Formats: sequence, structure tokens, C-alpha cells
Amino acid sequence: MENNLSQLWNTCLGVIESQLTKATFTTWFKNTGINKEEEGIIYVSVPNEFVREWLMTKYQKLILKTIVENAPHIRAVEFIISRLTTPAPVNENNLFSSSTTEHPSTLPLQNLYINRDDNLNPRYTFDTFIVGPFNELACASAQGVVKRLQNAYNPLFIYGSSGLGKTHLIQAVGNEIKKLYPDKKVLYTSLEKFMNEYVSSVQNNRQQSFQDKYCKFDVLIMDDIQFISGKEGTQNALFHIFNVLYEQNKNIIFSSDKHPNHIIGLEDRLKTRFNAGMTIDIQEPDLESRMAIIKEKSTHQEFPLEPEVLAYIASVVTGSIREIEGVLNLISMHSGMRQKAISLSEIKLLIKNSVKPKRVISIDSVVKMVSDYYNLDEQVIYEKTRRKEIVRARQIIMFVLREDFNESYPSIGAKLGGKDHTTVIHSYEKIKGELVSDPHLMKELEDIRILFK
Amino acid sequence: MNITCTTEKLKNAVSLAERMTGKALTLPTLHAILLIASGKSIKVRSTNLTLGIEIEIPANIEEEGTVLIKGEVLASVCNHLNDASEVRLTLEHDNLTISTPQHTTVIKSLPADDFPTLPAVEGEQVEIKTSVLQEGIRSVYFCAAITDIKPEIASIFIYSEENNLCFVATDSFRLAEKKISVKGIPEISKILVPFKNIADILRVLDVAPETIRIMYSRNQIAFFANGLYLTSRLIDGGFPPYQLIIPKETVTKVVLLKQELLNTLRLSTIFADKFFQVSFAIPEDKKTITLSSKNSDVGSSVSTVDAAIEGEPIEVDFNLKYFLDVFQALTGDSLTISFTQPNKPIVVRSVSDPSFLYLLMPTNR
Repeated sequence: MENNLSQLWNTCLGVIESQLTKATFTTWFKNTGINKEEEGIIYVSVPNEFVREWLMTKYQKLILKTIVENAPHIRAVEFIISRLTTPAPVNENNLFSSSTTEHPSTLPLQNLYINRDDNLNPRYTFDTFIVGPFNELACASAQGVVKRLQNAYNPLFIYGSSGLGKTHLIQAVGNEIKKLYPDKKVLYTSLEKFMNEYVSSVQNNRQQSFQDKYCKFDVLIMDDIQFISGKEGTQNALFHIFNVLYEQNKNIIFSSDKHPNHIIGLEDRLKTRFNAGMTIDIQEPDLESRMAIIKEKSTHQEFPLEPEVLAYIASVVTGSIREIEGVLNLISMHSGMRQKAISLSEIKLLIKNSVKPKRVISIDSVVKMVSDYYNLDEQVIYEKTRRKEIVRARQIIMFVLREDFNESYPSIGAKLGGKDHTTVIHSYEKIKGELVSDPHLMKELEDIRILFK
Repeated sequence: MNITCTTEKLKNAVSLAERMTGKALTLPTLHAILLIASGKSIKVRSTNLTLGIEIEIPANIEEEGTVLIKGEVLASVCNHLNDASEVRLTLEHDNLTISTPQHTTVIKSLPADDFPTLPAVEGEQVEIKTSVLQEGIRSVYFCAAITDIKPEIASIFIYSEENNLCFVATDSFRLAEKKISVKGIPEISKILVPFKNIADILRVLDVAPETIRIMYSRNQIAFFANGLYLTSRLIDGGFPPYQLIIPKETVTKVVLLKQELLNTLRLSTIFADKFFQVSFAIPEDKKTITLSSKNSDVGSSVSTVDAAIEGEPIEVDFNLKYFLDVFQALTGDSLTISFTQPNKPIVVRSVSDPSFLYLLMPTNR
């Protein structure tokens, strides 16, 4: 298709060239091309406004006539300004890399080029995204959006805990769409930014222009949507923008740290809309994925990591990818300082602080906090009673002690009024089972976990 | 065409328009200036396809008409019309006659149909004091990158932030930022004016009235002032988020007299090597800093400059040229230099003027 268009344009240029003087032709038709064809309209890209103005006033008829002769279905020609001449990136690199050796060092600007128009960071691409079983599905659906665009699931909702690559993934979608469809207008923003803008638009009485601004994008990517909870005005604004974009088949992508159903204080009309497309989670990476990530991230380092070091880091640094990055930075700094690779024993010493210490907290204080949360007297937990609300609280205590603090079943039972370890196992399994289906319980548990921090 | 107008006004308009003719372009039409006489005025128009200008001057029109004249010829002729306050232009058979009591010149004209119209800009509109624009641009433009490899930094970045209008330029070795307070400035998210057009825009600002009206879109900007219309291409791209690289903390801070440092740097220039390297040594608990430069073919120099020093001792090398550049933008008689680490950018400011900031990257050791 694109080839056809450039062929068509070359044929037209040949005809036009023969009718104009050489100077006129080079002045006005240099760096032009056909950008796209849509519904019988050819969009010709021109380098600047001056050329656009003159081609429109002077040569539009000629151009249209020539195009129609070669492609009879074309009805009109429009001119758009776009940068066709992209300078070779190789030159750029040379300039900058040579500058570090001979010329004064440059300001560290080039690492943080973020496009001001769409806020996307070009560093985040699919090429640098590591896929493992934990994020395979999310990655596939993100790529699905890029491929099928208007026919893809809309909205795409990606959730998972912090530091698992949600931002990377959704920005990669934005960057890829920009690459494949340069005329699509993409915007990446965080909910916080969106909200601040909304608030200032209310202050200055510019709500309309605020909405119009967001409605004109073809792809809207919003990060950290969970912060919308309880913010009614923002929800309302987002609701309207969502509807406008959705109706026009524009793509909307969200990320959050929770499933939309578990975002507290989110209006139902938004919940259902968020769920309407594809809702997908990213899990914590498993050991093999962690190893792959560490391997990938450490390839850029001066001193490559030994396989055993790699395995060690993957086994001790669990959880978010951000933590892994932190540890790797630490190691690379140390090896850079000493100008040699560091051994496993040194690394053990080095990262002992980065490895999350197991939280030490007494069983009594857990009991106290949970009973406080449910407004119960701490003592009744230890008593032999089967009152429903107390049993419930007790079960949750057992679950938390097992799940979060790794207490053994018998010791939990012994502490909580001499229960048998099978009782504890039963409680643990019961809560665990209910968590899957009961969002309220999930929410309560989250609140309780916050108390421990 | 048969008109009379003030010699002075025609002369000024033609000399301004002549600068913006497309001398480097292959199309001869664009080397010319278009004169359009209609209504009660004559319009003088030229363009080089990155800039375009149209100046309207009042005239007494006896017969309307349009003529295209080679820019250089027209400007040179106008420069020599010093004998009368009025000049008459008449067009007969493709020849333009310019006559004053003393001189009569006949210039061959070019076909006017091929001269392009100037693009009209549709977009946001702002009114700004001309002096603010001039000051802002002059304070930073020397830092802009000259090559077009990265067009977004071969430009001056203008945006608004609360009640400030900010001007920024960088060539990735140094960066200058000027913030000028303008009450009630409307939101300007981004204007990237190509560096190549800056000199011509400044020239127009010099003759503009106190406030100037601006209209801009993503690709184009237009200035309106007293019958003058100037339009320039803008760069459609993103300026790097430079705020992130401005050091937040200061480890060492030095206050110096501007003139004294400037004289010393000029002395150091004599002995600079091919990379124009000068070393700054800032000792602890002393009242002077040491500047040294060395060139194996010429010799070397070591100078001390009185300074008020706060913080830890540090040694840093700079490119002299980049350091000398900042003096044109610094007001007041003393300046502060803030250091963090030998390989991190330093911040230069004037003691009396917080609105200007200069970031300079040390050379690698």
C-alpha cells in the first residue's frame, strides 16, 4: 500500500516536473511525498507552511489532475506538514560519542528525551520488554492493540503491583503505535496529571477546552488510574472523555495496581466501562523470568555477571523488577569503582541490605491490630467462643500470620487460645479461597496490611 | 502602477525585506521583492521559505499595480535616494521607474505571478511586550545548537510557567534559561523558533512598537506590528526536559567579580590548547581561586581571582569559549558559580538577577 503511494507520487512528480522549470520544481516539490490515502483523499506531506500555502494556491489543480490521471478514484488532495527528512541517527551517535573523548562532555540531555507532545519516553519499547509467563498475556494483548488498533479490545486495562512493568508496557504500546501510524495522536499521562489539569481547568473555568483537548487524541494512555478513587469530579470528567473516545473507536489504555472492581470509591458506571474491554493482570516474575530480566539488564554493564551471581540475585531479590534494577545499579557502581567484576561473596555482603528483611512482628501485636480494625476487644480473640464476627476476625489473623509472617501452623494455633494446627490450616485455606471471589474481603485485607507497614 | 511614498519608509521597508529574500534558493523569483500597490498603501513582501515578511507603508496611489523586482538591485537603489523626502514609482512595460528630482532609475521587473503568498497562521494568539521578547531571546540565543542534526535544539524554546515567560536554548554542552515575569501571561506550552531565523526576528523586533501581537500554531508563528507581518516556520518537535538536569544541591559555591573573572579568562585564552581547556582550582578556606591554562606550543598561565568560597574544595576543567559566552547575558557586577561534582554541570548566575541561569558541562578529565 505504502509502496503504491510512493510509486504514484513518483509518477505524478515526473509529469509535474515536465511542466515546470527545474528551479520551480525543486523549490516547491523537494521533500514532498504522499503521507496516506483515506476515503479518496490523498494527503500530501510538505516540509513547511510556506510550501503548503503555495502548493494550495498555485498547484493544487495541477497536482489533483495528475493524480486523478493515474488513480481515477481519488477525489481530493490535501496538504499536511510533516518532517520527511529524518537525519541519520548514526551521525548523531558519532557526534555525541566522539564528544565524550575529545570535546567537552555534553549535558546529560539525550538520555531523558521525553516527547513533550505525548509524554512518551522512547526508551520504553517492546524490544526492551522482557516477556515471561508472568506477563505473557498482558504483553500479547498489548501487541494485539497495536496490530488491530480500531478493532482491538477497548479499553485495555492492565493491573499488577508496582514495579512489574505496567508503565513500560503501556508506553511501549504508545511508542509502537506512533511508529506504525505516525498520524495518530497519542497521549500518555498519569491520572495525577490529568487530575491536576482538571482542577486547574475548573479554577479557570476552562472545563470545555480541557475536555476538548483530551477528546482529540486517537490513543489515550493513562497510568495509575487507581488514584481516581473518591475523586468525583475527576471521575465525571474522565467518564465523559471516555465516552467520546469510545464512541469514535479511539483506543484507551489504563494501568492500575488493582482490578477495577477493587478500586474503592470508583463509580459503577466507570467500573463497567473499564471492564468492557480486556482486563489483564501482570504477576510477580517467577525465578526464571527474574533471571532473564537480570541477564538482559546486566548486558549493558561493563563487567558481566557470573552465572552463579546471576542465579543468586534472582533467588534473593524477589518481587518487583524495580528492586532488581536497584540491586544491579549498586553492583555496577561498585564494580565500576574497583574496575573489576565482584565475586559472589562480596555481592552477598553488598546486597544484604537490599534484600527485604523478613518482617518481625509479634503475634500479639497482629492480634491487636486486626481486632482494633474490626472494633473487637483484643481478649475475645483468645477466648473459646464461636460468635460469628469473632471467628471471622480470628481466621483473618491466622491467615495473615501464615501468609505474611510465615508463622508455623502449630505455633499460630498455640498462641491463639490453644487451637489445633488443623484448625489453623482450615482457616487459612478458607480465607484464601474466599479472597478469590470476595472483593470486600480483599479490600479489608489490604487495609489491614497497610496497618502493618 | 503609479504611486508616490515617503523615501525613508520605502528605504527601511525594502532593506528589511531584502534580508529575508531567499538568496540561497534556486528559484530566481524568491531572490526578489514584491511590491503591491493598492488602496492607500504599498506592500513590500519577501520570503526565503522559512521566513516571510510583509511591510505595509502608506502611499499616494494614482494607479494600482503589482511588480516583482530583484531584491539586491531594489535595496541598493533605495539606499542612494537621499535627495528628496518623496519618491515616485511607475511601472511601464515591465520596467519599474523610480524617480526623485535628482535620479531616475529604470529597473527590469520579473513575472510577479510566481511569487508565493505568505501563509496565514491560525492558532493561539498572544500579546507580549516587545522588550520582553527581545530580552528573553538575547539572553539565551547564543547557546542554541547551530547544526540542524537535532532541529529541536537548533532552536529557542519559549513557554510559559505561571506568571513567567521562559526562554531556553542549549547545544547540549551548555544551556541558558531566562525567566521573565509577565503578569497574566496565557498558557504557552511550546514555541520552538529555529535558531536560523532568530537574527531576522530580532531585527524586526527592533523596529516594532511597544507591544507585539503573536499568533502561533504547531508549525508556524506570525508577528503583527504596525503594518508589519512577519511569519516564521516553527520546529515541530519536543525540547528535552532540561529541568531534570539542573542540579538541585550545591556542594561548593563561589562568588566572584564579573569583570575580574572575565579579564582572567581572556588572559587564559592566549594559552588555551586546541580544546580551549581552562582549569579551575577552588581550595578550601582560601579567599582566591586559581585558573590555569597550558598550551604546549605557546606557554602557560596561572592566575588567581579573589572570591568568596563556601563548601568543599573542587577542581574542574572547562571550555573557555563556553565560559566566555555567558558574560554577554549576565547583568550586575558579580556572579556565583555552583558546583556539585567534577563531572556534573555547574550553574552560573548573576548575584543580583535570579531570572537567568546558565548550565555548563565541565570537560572530561
